[in-house]
Amino acid sequence: MIELSALSKSFGDAVALRDVSLTIEDDEYLTLLGPSGSGKSTLLRLIAGLDKPDAGSILVNGQNTIGLPPHQRGLGIVQQNYALFPHMTVQQNVEFGLRWREENPVRDEKELARRVGAMLELVGLNGFENRGVGQISGGQKQRVSLARTLVTEPKVCLLDEPLGALDANLRERMTLELRRIRDTLGVTFMHVTGNEDEALAMGDRMIVLDQGHVVMIAPPDAIYNLPCSMRVAQVLNAYNILGGQSRDNGFEHGGKLLPLPEGASEAAHYAIRYDAAKIVPQDDPSALLQVTFLTSEFTGGGVTYFMRGPDGVFEVERHLSRADPEVYTSGQALAVTWDAKDALVYDAQGVLIGHSEMRGAA
Amino acid sequence: MSTETIQSNPGFFTRNKHYWLLVPGVVWMTLFLVVPLGMMVYVSFWTQTTFAISNDLTLKSWQTFFASETYFGALIRTIRIWLTVLFLTILIGYPAALFIGQMVRNKTTQTILLVACVIPFWTSFLIRVLAWRPMLGKEGAINILLQKLGLIDAPIEVLLFTELAVIIGMVQIYVVFMVGPIAFMLARIDQSLIEAARDLGASGWTIFRKIILPLSLPGVVVGAIFVSVMVLGEFATSSALSGRKVNLLGNIIVTQVGSLKWAFAAVIGVVLTAVMALVVTILLRIVDLRKEL
Repeated sequence: MIELSALSKSFGDAVALRDVSLTIEDDEYLTLLGPSGSGKSTLLRLIAGLDKPDAGSILVNGQNTIGLPPHQRGLGIVQQNYALFPHMTVQQNVEFGLRWREENPVRDEKELARRVGAMLELVGLNGFENRGVGQISGGQKQRVSLARTLVTEPKVCLLDEPLGALDANLRERMTLELRRIRDTLGVTFMHVTGNEDEALAMGDRMIVLDQGHVVMIAPPDAIYNLPCSMRVAQVLNAYNILGGQSRDNGFEHGGKLLPLPEGASEAAHYAIRYDAAKIVPQDDPSALLQVTFLTSEFTGGGVTYFMRGPDGVFEVERHLSRADPEVYTSGQALAVTWDAKDALVYDAQGVLIGHSEMRGAA
Repeated sequence: MSTETIQSNPGFFTRNKHYWLLVPGVVWMTLFLVVPLGMMVYVSFWTQTTFAISNDLTLKSWQTFFASETYFGALIRTIRIWLTVLFLTILIGYPAALFIGQMVRNKTTQTILLVACVIPFWTSFLIRVLAWRPMLGKEGAINILLQKLGLIDAPIEVLLFTELAVIIGMVQIYVVFMVGPIAFMLARIDQSLIEAARDLGASGWTIFRKIILPLSLPGVVVGAIFVSVMVLGEFATSSALSGRKVNLLGNIIVTQVGSLKWAFAAVIGVVLTAVMALVVTILLRIVDLRKEL
C-alpha cells in the first residue's frame, strides 16, 4: 500500500502539483486521468522517486521513501517511450533488472532463462528472446518494456501513458492484455493517461487530476455518471456544460428556463451528457433549447452531432444500435431535449449541488 | 518492373539521371586520390640510383625497407607512439566527454564547452607545437615552476627532445578529436534509458558499464579513427619536439622526398597507407557503425 500525503512540487514559478493526497491499494488497477499539463507525469515521477517533492510524504507500507531509489520502494516504471536498451536483445533487456540490480542479483543462467521465459510467455512474446529491440514492432516493444519491469516483481507498477504510442487496433488489444497480465500477477498497476476512454475502461478506481489537484477519486462508472465537480465533467469530455443561473425553480440559459433537479437553487453551471440529450424538431413540445445544426461525425457504433446553441457548441451522441442515423443539413434549425433527471448542476465554484437520486452512481 | 513497361521504357540516361550527382565527386577523387595512390604503389617498384630514378621495376626499395634497422625501427616506433597517444587520448578524453555529454544537461552549456575544446585550434598548428618548447625545455616553464616550488633540485631533462615530449605534444593536440565524437554520442543517449536502468536497481557503475559505455563506443571508435589517421601520418610534432631524434614514418618520407629518393619515399607511403587501412578496418570491426549512424 502506498500513501501519498500533501505532496507538492513546483518547477520554478510553475506549480505542477499542489497538496496531493491519495492511497494506492494492493492488487488494484488504478487509472490516473488528467489533461496535458495537469501534473500527472510529475506525480508519477514523484511516486517513482525520479524527482523529489517540495513538500509532503510518500509512505510505502508505512515506511517513508523520500530519497529512496525506485527499486527499493518496490516500484517498477514502464516509461512512455519504453526506454528499451537499444544495444541489447529482448532477452538481455528483460533480464537486466534481475541480473544487474545492486541487491540480490540473479546470476544463475538457468534461473534467469526460466524467469525471463515465463515473463515473455505472459506478455505473449515467447520465441523473441534473441531479437534485437530494433527489429520488433511498437506493440512488441511495449510488451518487452512491461516484461522488463514485471520480471523484477514490483508491488506496484507505474505505467506512463502505456498505450499512447500504439495505433488504435493494438491499443484495444493491449487494453485487454494489460488487465489480464495484472490479474495473473496480482500486482497493482497505476496507469497514467490523458485519454478519458482508456481511463474509464481500464481502472478499478480512477483518479482525476486537474491543474495539480486531485479533483476526484472513485470507480470509473461513478466518475462518469456523477462528476463531483465541473472540471471533472470537462475532463471527461462527455458533458455539455451550460452557463447561467437558477431562477423560479429552473435554470436560465440563453433566454430559456431549463428544468432543474431537486434542491439546486444556487446553480451556475448545468451539465447534460452527450448521450442523454435528444434532437427533436424545432416546434416539438418537449424542445428545451433551440440550436443550429453544424456537422456530424460518424464513430462506427454511433453518430456525434455538433450543434450551435446559445452558449457554444452542443454535442449529442446517438447510438445506432436502435435506429438509423438521422441526416440534417448544415445550418438547419433544430432543438434539443433531455430528461430533467439526467441533468447535473454545479455552483459557481464548480461543486456538484444537485442531481436526481433516481440516477444514482451505479 | 511493371511501371517501367508502362512508361514506354525510358532511355538508360533518363533512368539513371540521379548518378550525375556523383560525377563531380568521382572526378575529383579519381584525379586526386585514386590515380596518385596507384602512382605511389607503382613508383615504389621503380629503380632508384643516387641521382636518378628509372621506371625499371625492382623490389630493391622494399628489401631495403624491411632489412634496415632504421626504417623498420621507424615503423615499430610509429606504431608504439600511435598506441600510446591513442590510449592517452581515450584516457583523458573520455571523462571530459562524459562530463560534457552526460553531466551537463543544458544544450547551450554543452555547445559552449565543446567550442571551448576547439579554442586551441585558433592558433596555427606549428605555433601550438612550438609553444611546447618553452614549456618543456630545461629552463622551460614546467621546470622553473617545479624548482620554485622546491619539488625538484635539478631540471627534468627528459621533458624535451625525447619521445615523451612528442607524446605530450600529440596528446594535447589530438585529444579534442576524441572528446568531440564521444561527447556527441553520449549526449544522444536518452536519459530515460538511464532512469530505466536505475529503476531496475542497477548501481551507477553498472549503468556506466552496461548502458553508457556500450552506447558511446561508436563515438570512441570514430574518435580513435580520427586520432589514429592523424598520428600515424604525423611528422611535424615529432621533428619539432624531439629535435629530430624521434623519426616516425612521416619524418622519413619528408627526408627521402627532400633528397629526391622518390622510390623509397613511395615504399614508406605504401606501408603507412596499409597500416592506416588495417587500423581503420580493425576499429570498424569493434562496432557496427552502420547501425549507429
